[in-house]
Order: sequence, then structure tokens, then C-alpha cells
Amino acid sequence: MDATAARQELLSGLREISPLALGVAVYGLAFGLLAAQAQMDGLQTGIMGALVFAGSSQIIAIERLVAGVGAGAAILAGLALNLRLLLVTASLRDELSGRPWWQVALGLHLATDENWALMHAQRAKGRQVGYWYLIGGGLGLVVVWLISTVAGASFANAVPEPRALGMDFAFTAAFIAILRSLWSGKESLPPWVTTVGIVVIATRLTPLDPTWTLILGGLSGAVVAGVLGRD
Amino acid sequence: MTDAWIVILGLAVATFAVRLSGHVLGQNLPEHGPWARGLQALPGCLILSLVTYLLLQGGPQEWTAGAVALGVAVISRNLPLTMLTGVLVIVLLRTAA
Repeated sequence: MDATAARQELLSGLREISPLALGVAVYGLAFGLLAAQAQMDGLQTGIMGALVFAGSSQIIAIERLVAGVGAGAAILAGLALNLRLLLVTASLRDELSGRPWWQVALGLHLATDENWALMHAQRAKGRQVGYWYLIGGGLGLVVVWLISTVAGASFANAVPEPRALGMDFAFTAAFIAILRSLWSGKESLPPWVTTVGIVVIATRLTPLDPTWTLILGGLSGAVVAGVLGRD
Repeated sequence: MTDAWIVILGLAVATFAVRLSGHVLGQNLPEHGPWARGLQALPGCLILSLVTYLLLQGGPQEWTAGAVALGVAVISRNLPLTMLTGVLVIVLLRTAA
């Protein structure tokens, strides 16, 4: 791929992530508010966003820290929530193979639920998007995440509650739209039914932690697709 | 060093290690057969897992909004429109309740 095509793909990733980035901004403000409670200033909050760049695990880790469990337990809680990312980056195999190390490192660091899912959804629609689309979306998300978290930490008193704006539902709706694109007809049915069944059982009938429920649900569907499917 | 700095740096290293491990894992799986099919089905199953869990955490209001969002997604295949409809419906339902 030449430089012009790569740049165009990056720009369309950047443009098309914007509705999802709006949802991220609301969570960024909420995280900033939490960071202020942990006595973190704007600079610290910004450094954390840039270095960790995994919203839900940042929230859980700082929430634990505010709860007073200590740094080690807070890191562990954030790490557990991030185990999901193991499966996210594993499925980036084709996008990352054969690239120079810095592009691999950049792609891995910028891989989040939102831009990764959006890329897969676009591809399922038949569009030729890949690595640079993922990077474009990731860059958009980094900028929005940094601005919103730092603003939240700096102006903690003026931040509205996400639930009051219905924004807690924004990602559920976004992922439903993305699922529509990832549905590939009859062959999706057995793995998807398995996933839903496992998550319902694990959530309603077992005391399993949400992190493990999500991983178990995703993996069980993938196993069914692997065992029952045909190439 | 304060606890906040320890968490920031510790979580940064741990998170990148997870992302890198996933990459190494993906690189070492075979390119055809059951493993490849499983890996290909993984994104959809993982997102479905998340949506199922999120909806189970909610109640009738979230389920209704989810069903409307799904209807819009099936018909329009449009991400911003689905998000907008979902958020509008949930706000309306919560205000009405």
C-alpha cells in the first residue's frame, strides 16, 4: 500500500470513529471526576490516559484505589478487566503481520474495543480497511480520551452524570450496530447462540466475575465456530 | 512515589503486556482449520458477550431500547443512527418512568 492510500484509510478511520468517540468523551469526563477523588491532577490523569489507554480498566483501578485497597490490588483489578484485550489483539494477526516493530507496537497500544470492532464491522460490509483504519480510529480516541479525562479531573465540579444523559447506553447501542455488521448469515448462529447462553448462565446462575464471564462467553462461541464450522 | 504513580506505571506495563501477549498468541496459531475459524469468529462472539452482559445488567427499559436499536441496526446498518436512536429511547423511557 502506498503512502497516499494509507493516509486516506487513516483519515476515514479518524472520521468514522467520531460517533463512538463522543461516547468515549462522556466516560472520559466521568473518569476524570474519579481521578480527582484519588487526588490526581490533570497532568497525572493525562499521563495515565496516554500510557494505559484502556478506559474501563483505568476506571476500575482508580475506583479500587479510592476505595483504599492499595496500589497492588488496584493494578490487579485493572489487569483482570484487560484480559479481554488479549483476544482483541490476537485477532489482529493479519493486520499486524509483516510490519516493522514500531507499527506493531503502535497498533497494539492503540487497539481498543471501539476502533477494533469498527474495523471488523466495516470489513464485514466488504470494505478494504485494515491497519491504518485501526490507527486512525485509535488516534481519534486517544485525543478525545486525553482531553475529556484531563478536563474531568481539572473541572470536577461541573461534570454531569453519564446516566442522566442516557450516555451509559451509547456503547450498548454502538455494539449492537457493530454486531449487525459482523453477522455472517446462518454460520454465525451456532457460535452466537452458544455465547449468549453461556453469558446468561454465568451471569444469572454463577458467582463468576464479569471479566471471566466475558472471556468465557467469547471463547465458547469461537470454539463452537472452530469445531463445527467448515473452511 | 505515591500510590497513584505506582498504579499508573504498573497498569501501563501490565496492559501493554496483555496486548503484546495477545499478538504473540495470534501469530502462533495455524492459518487454516479449526483454530483459524475460531479466531475469525472471535470478534463477533466477544462483542456479543459484552452486549449480552450489559443488557443483563439492565432491566425492561434497557431491553426495550436494545430491541429498538437492533431493529434500526438491521434496517439501516448505520452506526451513528443506531447509537442516536438507542440513547433517545432510553432517555424517553427513563423520563416517562
